[in-house]
Amino acid sequence: MELLLQATVQGLLVGGAYALVALSLGLTYNVSGIINFAHGDFLTLSMFLALAMQVAFRLDPYISGVLLFPVLFVLGAGVYHFLLRPVAHRHLLMVIQLTLGITFVVQNGLLMSFGGQPMRVPSAYEASLILIGDELAIRTPQLLAFVGSLVLALLLWLVLDHTETGRRIRAVHQNPRAAALMGIDVPRLRMVIFGVGIGIQALAGVLLVPGQPVEPALGFRYTVIPLMALVMGGLTDFRGVYLGALLIGVTEALGTVYVSGTSGMMVPYGLFILVLLLRPQGLFRRA
Amino acid sequence: MSTEMLEVSGLTAGYAGPAVLQDVSLDVNAGELVGLLGANNAGKSTLINCVSGLIAPRAGRIRFLGEDITRLKPDQIVARGIVQVPEGRQVFPRMSVLDNLLLGGTLPAARADRVRRLEQVYALFPRMQERSAQYAGTLSGGEQQMLAIGRAMMAGPKLLMLDEPSLGLSPLFVQSIFRALRGLNAEGLTMLLVEQNLTLTLSCATRGVVLERGQVAIAGDAAALAADPRTRQAYLGL
Repeated sequence: MELLLQATVQGLLVGGAYALVALSLGLTYNVSGIINFAHGDFLTLSMFLALAMQVAFRLDPYISGVLLFPVLFVLGAGVYHFLLRPVAHRHLLMVIQLTLGITFVVQNGLLMSFGGQPMRVPSAYEASLILIGDELAIRTPQLLAFVGSLVLALLLWLVLDHTETGRRIRAVHQNPRAAALMGIDVPRLRMVIFGVGIGIQALAGVLLVPGQPVEPALGFRYTVIPLMALVMGGLTDFRGVYLGALLIGVTEALGTVYVSGTSGMMVPYGLFILVLLLRPQGLFRRA
Repeated sequence: MSTEMLEVSGLTAGYAGPAVLQDVSLDVNAGELVGLLGANNAGKSTLINCVSGLIAPRAGRIRFLGEDITRLKPDQIVARGIVQVPEGRQVFPRMSVLDNLLLGGTLPAARADRVRRLEQVYALFPRMQERSAQYAGTLSGGEQQMLAIGRAMMAGPKLLMLDEPSLGLSPLFVQSIFRALRGLNAEGLTMLLVEQNLTLTLSCATRGVVLERGQVAIAGDAAALAADPRTRQAYLGL
């Protein structure tokens, strides 16, 4: 019972961070129409940059995040403008291959610069625990990651649903040609949104990094898991994507605890297949 | 009176393959309602999409109020005051009618006047006010056409270009749409109306231009065109 509670809470906390990554992936996909398989690698990149800033300037990752956001924003906007946009209207496979190519460039670039062994990034609250009763111990960085992700997700939802900019973004998602006829500069908006989506990865990266061993190959996991949450949620439904990410977090934690060995890691994928079979339109969507 | 607003000269354009438009010239003066007529594939939509900046022409020039706009981007052209109501309405289906209308006036210059223009659109199409909270995708075809026109009016256009507003609508809706267009034109709005419906268009247009296989077949006053047998011949491709 104790273990079940502990694993569930931990899963929810991690799932909250997955949700932020899933929402930023969804934002870039829905607006540009490009599914970016390198999305998680930008998260790893920001983790390593936080590491470098810790080593060089003794900056805590939480502070580095604020500085890394504009860096990854510019990087993301640049990647969209110079690499993705020229092939965006071409065959889907070309676009997929290009983003997979970016994955290899980022992963091997990190491997060259930092080596392949897992590293840890020291942070202020890294080892601190919050004890609730006798049975539940929450790691402070995980709680911070959950709360930080929730705040950012709410902010994103507010902008999309309640501002003029959000209305324009939704217009470009629903009908880019008509959006252009409204006077919206569609290519520019797509570039900015891609930058924001990658910029959010900087924030997600520093929220996830304390206490977590980082290695160059981590990025693929942070693409696949959020992608599953995104598909489970129905691509554009905030609540659905969030719930999907929480479910993946929980099943992952429970699978690791209760199912022996590597097969425990398969439990979230089983859930994913189940959701696709039963609710292919998304968790909250009506068919 | 006849200040030239839009001046298209020697326009050649198309997609991959042979040109859809061959050396087409056309003027629209302030206050006019010019009907751009022709059968399917005559090049009507291609022409106004060139004006809107959605297609880059291969040759020719487009001027608006004295300024060369041939190479401008769609958003820059909307900012100049040329607004298109696209074929097939193209409303934003999973947004409310109100959101659709607000998007029509999303440019900074139009945003200042949004409240006033929204009232004007509601006065023109009261049904839009009744449906304002509804998703645009749930409207009927005729209502969507009203929405598309209302949305374009929110931008405060100097020149309104409409691509086949009667397409697929019931006769009743066609009548009310054309009554609204006539009213807007009477209030001084300049229009370029792309249509297949010859009689209906010539009944409210000042002038007409008939395109036939990408070239101007015949052009002139609406009344003269309506009486001229060559109009129907060009239209039918005889």
